[in-house]
Amino acid sequence: MNKEARKTATALAYLAPNFIGFVVFLAGPVVFSLVMSFTNWGMQKSVPFAWIGLENFTELLGDVNFWLYFLNTAYFMIGIPFAIAGSLILAIMLSQKLKGITVYRTLFYLPSITSGVALMILWKALYNPETGPINTMLNWFLNTVGLNHVIHAVFGTTVTPPAWLISTKSILGLDVDKIGMVWKQFGLGARDAIIYMGIWTGIGGGNMLLYLAALTNQPQELVEAAQIDGASRWAIFKNVTWPYLAPTTFFITIMSFIGGLQGGFEQARVMTGGGPAGTTMTMTYYIYTQAFDELQLGYASAVAWVLAVIILVVTLINWKFGNKEMYY
Amino acid sequence: MSTQNELAGQQRTWWNRWGKVTSSHLLLGLISITTMLPFIWMVLASFKPMADIEKINPIPSVWHPENYIEVFRKVQFARYYFNSLFIAAWVTLLTVLTSSLAAYAFARIQWKGRDMVFKLYLMTLMIPGVVVMIPNYTVMVHLHLLDSYVGLIVPAAFSAFGTFLLRQFMLTIPSALDEAAEIDGANSWQILWEIIMPLAQPGLVTLAVFTFLGNYGSFFWPLLIIKSEYLRTLPIGMLFFDTNYGTQTNLIMAGSVMSVIPVIILFVFCQKFLVKGIQLGAVKG
Amino acid sequence: MKKFFIIAILVMTGLSVFAYLIKPNTDHPGKVELRWVTDDNPARRNQIKLFNDTHPNINLSLDPGTNQKVVVQVLAGVGPDLFDVYSGQLPNYVKSDACLDVTDKLKAVGINVEKDVWRTLDTTYIYDGRVYGFPTNAACAGLMFNKDSFRKLGMPFPKGPWKWKDFLPVAQKLTVKDAEGKIQQYGFMFEWSYFPMLSMQWGGHLYSPDGTRSVLDSPENAGAVQFMHDLIYKYHVSPTPNEQTSMASQGGWGAGMINLFGAGRAATMLAGRWMLCNLRNFEGLKVGAAELPYENHRVFWGYGRATTVNKYGKHKKEAFEFLKYLASTEYNELINHQADSIATVIRTTYTDKYLHDPAYPEEDTNAVWRDTMYLSKPYETSPFIDASKSDLILYKQLDLVRADQKSPEEALKTAQELINEVIQRNIRKDPKLQELYDKLMLESRKKAKH
Repeated sequence: MNKEARKTATALAYLAPNFIGFVVFLAGPVVFSLVMSFTNWGMQKSVPFAWIGLENFTELLGDVNFWLYFLNTAYFMIGIPFAIAGSLILAIMLSQKLKGITVYRTLFYLPSITSGVALMILWKALYNPETGPINTMLNWFLNTVGLNHVIHAVFGTTVTPPAWLISTKSILGLDVDKIGMVWKQFGLGARDAIIYMGIWTGIGGGNMLLYLAALTNQPQELVEAAQIDGASRWAIFKNVTWPYLAPTTFFITIMSFIGGLQGGFEQARVMTGGGPAGTTMTMTYYIYTQAFDELQLGYASAVAWVLAVIILVVTLINWKFGNKEMYY
Repeated sequence: MSTQNELAGQQRTWWNRWGKVTSSHLLLGLISITTMLPFIWMVLASFKPMADIEKINPIPSVWHPENYIEVFRKVQFARYYFNSLFIAAWVTLLTVLTSSLAAYAFARIQWKGRDMVFKLYLMTLMIPGVVVMIPNYTVMVHLHLLDSYVGLIVPAAFSAFGTFLLRQFMLTIPSALDEAAEIDGANSWQILWEIIMPLAQPGLVTLAVFTFLGNYGSFFWPLLIIKSEYLRTLPIGMLFFDTNYGTQTNLIMAGSVMSVIPVIILFVFCQKFLVKGIQLGAVKG
Repeated sequence: MKKFFIIAILVMTGLSVFAYLIKPNTDHPGKVELRWVTDDNPARRNQIKLFNDTHPNINLSLDPGTNQKVVVQVLAGVGPDLFDVYSGQLPNYVKSDACLDVTDKLKAVGINVEKDVWRTLDTTYIYDGRVYGFPTNAACAGLMFNKDSFRKLGMPFPKGPWKWKDFLPVAQKLTVKDAEGKIQQYGFMFEWSYFPMLSMQWGGHLYSPDGTRSVLDSPENAGAVQFMHDLIYKYHVSPTPNEQTSMASQGGWGAGMINLFGAGRAATMLAGRWMLCNLRNFEGLKVGAAELPYENHRVFWGYGRATTVNKYGKHKKEAFEFLKYLASTEYNELINHQADSIATVIRTTYTDKYLHDPAYPEEDTNAVWRDTMYLSKPYETSPFIDASKSDLILYKQLDLVRADQKSPEEALKTAQELINEVIQRNIRKDPKLQELYDKLMLESRKKAKH
């Protein structure tokens, strides 16, 4: 065997364990599900297996529920700019040379690292409209402390604490079974509750650490030059730090979008069951219910692939837009 | 005159410095407390009797540490703990092992098709996980691996991300060391274990910590595979605990606290690696 | 480095052996193991124990799995030996070829399903003229009331037959406020999942007689939904969803409303006898039952659960013994006693054991449940849409009415449109359904011509 072939053989030997798993559990299923999305694969024995071409796709594009769930998924991404801004602010605060700064960094990072079912169950209890501390606190401010008297005097109405996870309302007043905005649905409901929880969980997480790393490595010469020129703190930030952070921001934004489009599953499954009235049903949860409750595996695969394409398109758009911003 | 000004100037800067430090700590402290509030509530609530839950006072009127024991009596919580840790350990071990070997093949050996195959790995990172869940589930059904440890461990043990991370790490190790060893007559296996792996240790630990934490909190896949109570991991166990005993908020909170503790412990010990790992993962972008 | 990995592998292997050893052992030597997927109701334990005691060669155990995955398990060949089917689910299972046809087997052992069992249970285990299992329990809708709430106000215990308009003043009197005007006790609580029953009472229907389309959008149905809405927002005898859900959280079987009733926050509620399982835990609570009020038609919801045998199970013979057990007097007397609703075998509800169970002397109104069973009917279904699917659509709309965000007419109209869309989609996908649909449409056109 010549050297070239022996090298390839050796390489393949090392690669083998990982590669076999990769093919069986990653690459293979990707192809398989793509192929299946063009069939009517399901578990009904009475319906014979058949190739139905693009029928799954035309069906899902014409299904108002698909668009509603897509809207829900997009809605959840409203929190992204706030979360990124928050991470940046926290990172700036943590970049000071202060004794014990790592303690604060640990505390900020804690929600992100412990995120999971246990935390969602915690927030479900927090959001309980009558026994949860959030509303208990709001009630106290409004009624015991008397904020409602003030509000009544100024606006003529009183405020009741929102029903959170059982309310179909949202800040944009999204309608429940059509695409559109409706005044009656304006308020704070399940969707917003989940967004706030998401911001709390993510604000001190990986994104903050990325910003912190970038800030720590920032070359000080430009900053000092600007200071000598008498620039204000805000001007320094806007013209020196922010552009310097652009690549990090770019990366964080793309990852947030990719994650956000795939998200909402755990929240839906653990906290709301997709409700109330389907308002917290995101794309991933929809795919799950179609595949494992309705047993419509071909259709679910089609929806999953549509989601994959959407993610690709959004990433490409972000890439193009971000690239322009990076060079000033 | 100038001495007085000088002294006054010194005093001012001294005061400024201390003022700044205090106000920074104050601000940071305030934010920390706000961030920690839900956790604080969770821990306090886990000690409360049921009647106290809806009271505005977060502190229990009577402390009930036996709530924690009650959790173990109501559901097989000890089992959930074992399962989560056991499965996460296996997944971590398998992932680190297979990813190291594969990363070595990508980083250190020149072979035909190497870059093409690596691009294939990268491409799968772009696909949302839910796409592969459906075929993987069907495979498990046909192999009769539903509701089994193997079904929970094996599919989760193959990560393209792990290979990618370790490859990047290995690339930073100077190849001069390899060449020196080769001259001494070492073969690729020896180079891997004597030189590369020890130097790649930070990368290995980072991958291990990430994988462990990721699998510990894994929800989607266990939700599909687990049917019997004896197999439940903590996330699934907590879900059913909440579904069946959700009215007993104090017990549920005790369960949540216990679920979260291993993560906090691991994190406190491995902070360094986690922070480094996130930065490493971001470099390629 | 290598050493570390070798140690790690050894440790993990050791732990794996440990994991295998602590796996719960379900094997009983010499006995046939049967697995029954049903809900994890504490009453099941005694029901299973009784079976195991009387069948020494079999060990039946309970598997609390969720129903949706049963089909997948069965098709994958790892299904349970027995599993429960609720009203409306049977067609799906039969179409997936999961259930064993026991029509002839039951006849051979002298069980006559037409005579022995409540008619209203037919749809849970009979499909297309063939029998696929045996009912596990029966239930109907009745009015449960808190005896003390009535005594406190000096009111006589309610007794049917009576109409909703006669009931309203009673419920209003029983809605008691405290000094600050906050409602302490609601006069009446009910779940909106009973809408189809009220629809029947108002004279409406869910589907056309041949099941080819949804007919939710009718004045009768709108009247029923309006009444449900009025109970909350006009007469204020029932709580709003906000008020109700915040008084309890999720858990168990209908926990919210039942717990509130048990805690004395409601004087009456739309109930099934099975709620006693939970209510008996409330000390000092004295529950009575009366016939539920009606509107234009004196009809109530009758429902239940049936157990079927896995067609691909490995122990079909022993599993069938369980079906025989379900038809036995011992089992039926047991569920009467446990209030796991009502016995499925009619004659066991005429015994003194049922009417005056010595263990529960306060429960002297059991005759009401039995008599209501004769007046009960199951909900309408359509062969063209899964009941769970249509329920999802319907209740999403009704939820909005309940939250005072949509009018009954709009909600019913939307639900009807959406259900019909799904029906059409199902027909297009399944050639057999297409055949059936064409046949029915042809027949209805013929009828229209005459």
